[in-house]
Amino acid sequence: MNTKRLRTIIPLAVIAVVAVGFATHVGVGTLSAIGWQDISLLCPLGALMTMIATKTMIPRAVISVVIAIALILLFARAFCGWVCPVPVVSKIRGIFSKKTSNTDMTGTGVLPADENPLVKAAVADGAGAAEAAAEPAPLSADEQAALKGCGSKAGCSSCAEKRAALDSRHVILGGSLLSAAVFGFPVFCLICPIGLTFATIVLVMRLFAFGDVAWGVILVPVLLLAEVVFFRKWCSTFCPISALMSLIGKANRTFVPVVNDAKCRETVEGASCEVCAAVCPQGINVRHPEAGMSFSECTKCRACVEACPTQAIKMPFLPQKVQGASTVVVEDEDAVTAS
Amino acid sequence: MAENDEKAAEAAPKKDGRPAISRRALCVGLGGTAALVGLGAVRYAGSAPLVRPPGGQDEDALVSACIRCEKCYEVCPRGVIAPAHLEDGLLNMRTPVMDFSANWCDWCTEENGGEPLCVASCPTEALKPGSTPETGVLGLAELNQDLCLAYRLIGCRFCYDACEYEAMALDENNRPYVLNDACNGCGACESVCVSLQNGSISAGATERAIVVRPLEA
Repeated sequence: MNTKRLRTIIPLAVIAVVAVGFATHVGVGTLSAIGWQDISLLCPLGALMTMIATKTMIPRAVISVVIAIALILLFARAFCGWVCPVPVVSKIRGIFSKKTSNTDMTGTGVLPADENPLVKAAVADGAGAAEAAAEPAPLSADEQAALKGCGSKAGCSSCAEKRAALDSRHVILGGSLLSAAVFGFPVFCLICPIGLTFATIVLVMRLFAFGDVAWGVILVPVLLLAEVVFFRKWCSTFCPISALMSLIGKANRTFVPVVNDAKCRETVEGASCEVCAAVCPQGINVRHPEAGMSFSECTKCRACVEACPTQAIKMPFLPQKVQGASTVVVEDEDAVTAS
Repeated sequence: MAENDEKAAEAAPKKDGRPAISRRALCVGLGGTAALVGLGAVRYAGSAPLVRPPGGQDEDALVSACIRCEKCYEVCPRGVIAPAHLEDGLLNMRTPVMDFSANWCDWCTEENGGEPLCVASCPTEALKPGSTPETGVLGLAELNQDLCLAYRLIGCRFCYDACEYEAMALDENNRPYVLNDACNGCGACESVCVSLQNGSISAGATERAIVVRPLEA
């Protein structure tokens, strides 16, 4: 099973578990406070906002924030790519537009799909994309020279760092906390698309189970759809939870994709490839990190790992030591010559 | 805390001259913030008090702490906690309210030894611990004599029989009335009232003859 399908199935399974839990009163809660009976892992943003709004330290909220920080340090934004229902809900956009995009809503993407030949090739060729991407435009002398300077670890002077450290999400994160402080209630919770997704399910279940007819049954899903349909880049431009994760994720050092220079087409053949950068929904450039988004945006979706034509990208639990890597290089060179 | 860090980061450009945030992103972010501030103003729109689960009687505290996680209405073993409707105000929407149409609240005496499961499971303490049937008051039962079958001398006394807290009495004609000082708003009377089902007698009624009303703030 490929991870792309898995990343749709898992959020749907979470929704199913929540729905079954709601019907059977077992107390699993929703993603706002998932857990068992009176043990809940609160949404870290909700926990912060409620503590700011009430101006009190709430034990369970503090514990939840600590656990959430630990999880984000370990997995960066993996929640966005693997658990959050909003990217799955946003697939409903496909009903309104047939245009496919290389972003799955969780990220910014680098180039629109129709401007990126590598993505076209990858799409045309399925997951492999190796043959189609194998004949890139010939490199100019300048580009060749630039490529030589692009070691895996060394900085690349030609790719000046242009991205800003913060974006609109981070301002909205500040605004969420500020509005909670000013108005004394968690304002963002009213419109949080994750909360609205589960509210839709709960309200529809109540509609059928108890005949609880209310305007909310219409308003809540309409608001949710408005957020994901009209704000196409909700996750990367608006979502304050994503902002919180990307801030804490700056310290994430685990499961970071690394390129094996002994396999990568750029280092082995000196050719321009960039498939990994083209497929990344977050706009991260694994080969040339300076040219893309920060690794703190990584949702660990494994798109780069799966798309790499030479399987050069791995996501090790911990960054491998240099010595360890060199032995791998020797083995791989054998493999390359043998093939 | 996080907020301060962020404001500081926004204000101070990075040392290398690269702006901490692009102008466009700042505008989008401020637009979103403005929307949140506008939405926050519903706090001052004014809303009528509602009958809340145990420990949620301080309306301001409940609205401040509730993150609309929907856990309380999931765990309620009797299904008497429901999400508030949009009609109760945008601010209250999806916060917990009591729905005594089919059952009533005994503070989980039967199911959990008197510790309400909603209070125990509330992760943000929007429902404050410590409420008991003796000390907590969810609301006050109000009997509408125009709708009550007993006041047509039919002899109905379901509500009187249902009350476990000796908060109802019968007058000389065996008509029930509420003892306000003893009523804790548990909703048992409302849950058994048959006046609404009996359409031929109470035509035009939109609610039962005995209903738990929120305490006036």
